[in-house]
Amino acid sequence: MDELTTVFVTESREQLAAMEEALLQLEANPEDSDLINAVFRPAHTIKGGAGVIECNFIVAFTHVAENALDKLRNGDIKVSSDLVAVLLGCCDHIGNLLSVLEAGAAEPDEDLRAEGDSLLSRLQRDWLDAKEEAPAASVQPNRPPVEKVDDVQASGGGLVETDFWHISLRFGAGVLRNGMDPISFLRYLSTLGQIVHIETIPDAMPSAEEMDPEACYLGFEIKFKSDADKAAIEAVFDFVRDECTLHILPPNSKLADYIALLQALPENTMRLGEILVKIGALTQAELDDGLKQQHAVPPEEGGEEASPPPPLGEILIEQKVVQPELVEAAVIKQKQVSEKKAAEARLIRIQADKLDRLIDLVGELVIAGASTNLLASRAGLSDLNEATSLLNRLVEQIRDSALQLRMVQIGETFNRFQRVVRDVSKELGKDIELTIAGGETELDKSVVEKIGDPLMHLVRNAMDHGIESAEVRQAKGKSPRGRLSLNAYHDSGSIVIDVADDGGGLNRDKILKKAVEKGLVQAGVHLSDQEIANLIFEPGFSTVDKVSNLSGRGVGMDVVKRNIQGLRGRVEVHSEEGHGTRFSIRLPLTLAIIDGFLVGADRASYVIPLDMVVECLELQAHATSSGERNYLNLRGEVLPFIRLRDLFEIPGEPPKRENVVVVKAAGQKAGIVVDTLLGEFQTVIKPLGQLFRHLRGIGGSTILGSGDVALILDVQALAQIAIGREERSLAAPSSVNTPRISQV
Amino acid sequence: MKTIFLVDDSATILLSISNILAKAGYAVEKAGNAEEGMKKFQAGVKVDLLITDLNMPGMNGIQFIREVRKLPNYKFMPILFLTTESQQEKRAEAKAAGASGWIVKPATADQLLNTIKLVLR
Repeated sequence: MDELTTVFVTESREQLAAMEEALLQLEANPEDSDLINAVFRPAHTIKGGAGVIECNFIVAFTHVAENALDKLRNGDIKVSSDLVAVLLGCCDHIGNLLSVLEAGAAEPDEDLRAEGDSLLSRLQRDWLDAKEEAPAASVQPNRPPVEKVDDVQASGGGLVETDFWHISLRFGAGVLRNGMDPISFLRYLSTLGQIVHIETIPDAMPSAEEMDPEACYLGFEIKFKSDADKAAIEAVFDFVRDECTLHILPPNSKLADYIALLQALPENTMRLGEILVKIGALTQAELDDGLKQQHAVPPEEGGEEASPPPPLGEILIEQKVVQPELVEAAVIKQKQVSEKKAAEARLIRIQADKLDRLIDLVGELVIAGASTNLLASRAGLSDLNEATSLLNRLVEQIRDSALQLRMVQIGETFNRFQRVVRDVSKELGKDIELTIAGGETELDKSVVEKIGDPLMHLVRNAMDHGIESAEVRQAKGKSPRGRLSLNAYHDSGSIVIDVADDGGGLNRDKILKKAVEKGLVQAGVHLSDQEIANLIFEPGFSTVDKVSNLSGRGVGMDVVKRNIQGLRGRVEVHSEEGHGTRFSIRLPLTLAIIDGFLVGADRASYVIPLDMVVECLELQAHATSSGERNYLNLRGEVLPFIRLRDLFEIPGEPPKRENVVVVKAAGQKAGIVVDTLLGEFQTVIKPLGQLFRHLRGIGGSTILGSGDVALILDVQALAQIAIGREERSLAAPSSVNTPRISQV
Repeated sequence: MKTIFLVDDSATILLSISNILAKAGYAVEKAGNAEEGMKKFQAGVKVDLLITDLNMPGMNGIQFIREVRKLPNYKFMPILFLTTESQQEKRAEAKAAGASGWIVKPATADQLLNTIKLVLR
């Protein structure tokens, strides 16, 4: 794909997202003309772009959709949920067409074409033809729609007789001498439309003695009926423009179109004249003339040279090239534009892989910096140490700024679900309301890209299985309208995304029964709430008897779990029977570089993510109970702990003085017992190979300044192991105080 | 059948334009430079329209137009010249020399034929 096409596809996808969002809002506020414009503009831009890259199948499709939107904008058709549905379908179809273009195919395949045709024929049948006999001919972008002129029915219903262009023309004397014949212009003009009436003005003709037979003295006043725009009409007289006097006034019906166009103009700063030229009410040549006159105003008779030049608008009206109403509307638009411009943030678009390359380099810089630091401290030169520590601080700042570049808001991903919820709730016949919070929460770009699918599964599941039908809800005394919420927030070094519904919650008995049926657990075995909740993430598990279109195929939750684990994240489920379910996806802030806390056990070093470290203390022998039980008394609190030496089976005797790093993960505290504390360390995360994927307790690796490899501890898993051991050793068969949380 | 006289030093342009004209049903006379063109005019060639390039070696297009206009037989013949979007001043100069109009390169066949239709009697 060439660059132009790539830019077109990217831009169009953004436009589509904007259009979709505006459509959904429009359904709720059908009268809002700003929203109608917000829907129209993207369609228009996409069509224009497709024209430039000569992608005809997109032009053709978008053209009809644009016509419908144009009618909507003109108030000829009304917003209805049917129309919104078809237009949303059009959005999807344009998206598909863009994919076809991206794939490099010359034409969409049969199926896609049939889909497009059926959308278009619906639009044509239900909305376009209903108001208008002939399908719109090719409409020039940015120009008043031609149908309007063709419609001889005025808004009042009567025939409009006076709706013609008025052209006032006085030829210069040299026209004939330059080989031009006045009649050819009239003839050429009639190829653009119909000359309804023409008056020849011979007033300039001198007496016979003075008359030069080679000079032209003619003038014409012409009533002209045409669909062409002003620039096209003016172009007819291009060759004599310099020497003749020409005024072209548009028909009255065009005025409303021009004003509508004015309001739909994209928000660029433009001057009054440029605005009028853009919508076609003024031609470039007329503007140039007006400007010339503005700057060449002769001094007033009294010699008041200091008087400022008159405004362009007044000159244009005086020259009879535009109507006063138009100038007024354009001035208003001009004000809006400059106001809006000030508020707009400035953005630069860059390619994502350039950013990735930068992050990689910053990672290497961090490692190299650590190595310099180490050498400097070994050398023991205080000047050198000072210099490297300054360098280190800067590297840290560069790291943070570089990572910040990759952060994008989750809001855009969330907003996509408005559409999903709308469509799916219609399909299911349920009334479901989606609330979104925390859209401004920022996440690494690569995480945001990959979180869409798991979220989709969770949202669909919540709608399909979680939220009950209106009747059931009413019977339970709940509001018939189901509520679904998406929420994102920061929580101790991670980002948490909640998908919550106020439906029936997980049905404990049903899950257990199904699990036994599927052979996932043995009958009669006692399971804690947490373990039961965990079962829904098992492959092939589904409690719904009827397989619906949406979910219930039993693939999904295990895929969700796998996808999220792939992002170094976890998913937790909190459920209360009868009151709803909440899935919490916990994700790391970034995938590339973290602040770490370096600890040592035997000769190896390990990194604990610094966000999770609460405090460090010395392990005192008397604080722990006899060797069997792994918990200690932390200021009156029970703190389960785990020894790295035990966990990784490091041989040899532990040193006399051991340290405990207290960590907090998902609201639970645990201790990790290590030999030595080595301090903070900027950790560039290097993933472990496929071979080590199943290891529990290790999340990745990093390279130290010395060149050694250190393993990054997966604190959450370690905390689980510590807590789990404690629970098991406590293990009375009834799980009395099991937390209602399961880690997956 | 109308005859159009085409003067341009580029063989490619001569060929491409004359192909379009011939397809549209015009007879075409050609010359590779202004001097050759002048000779044909002095010999009284019967044409309905002259299309000339402005940048030619030897006599340039503007001089050429001025010379042609001096010939009594061609005083009112339409003359078009080939120009580009950027040559705005040249345009005025050529008009002053007696040209009727211009064709902006690159032009589509339709644009070319429309302009010709406009100036042909």
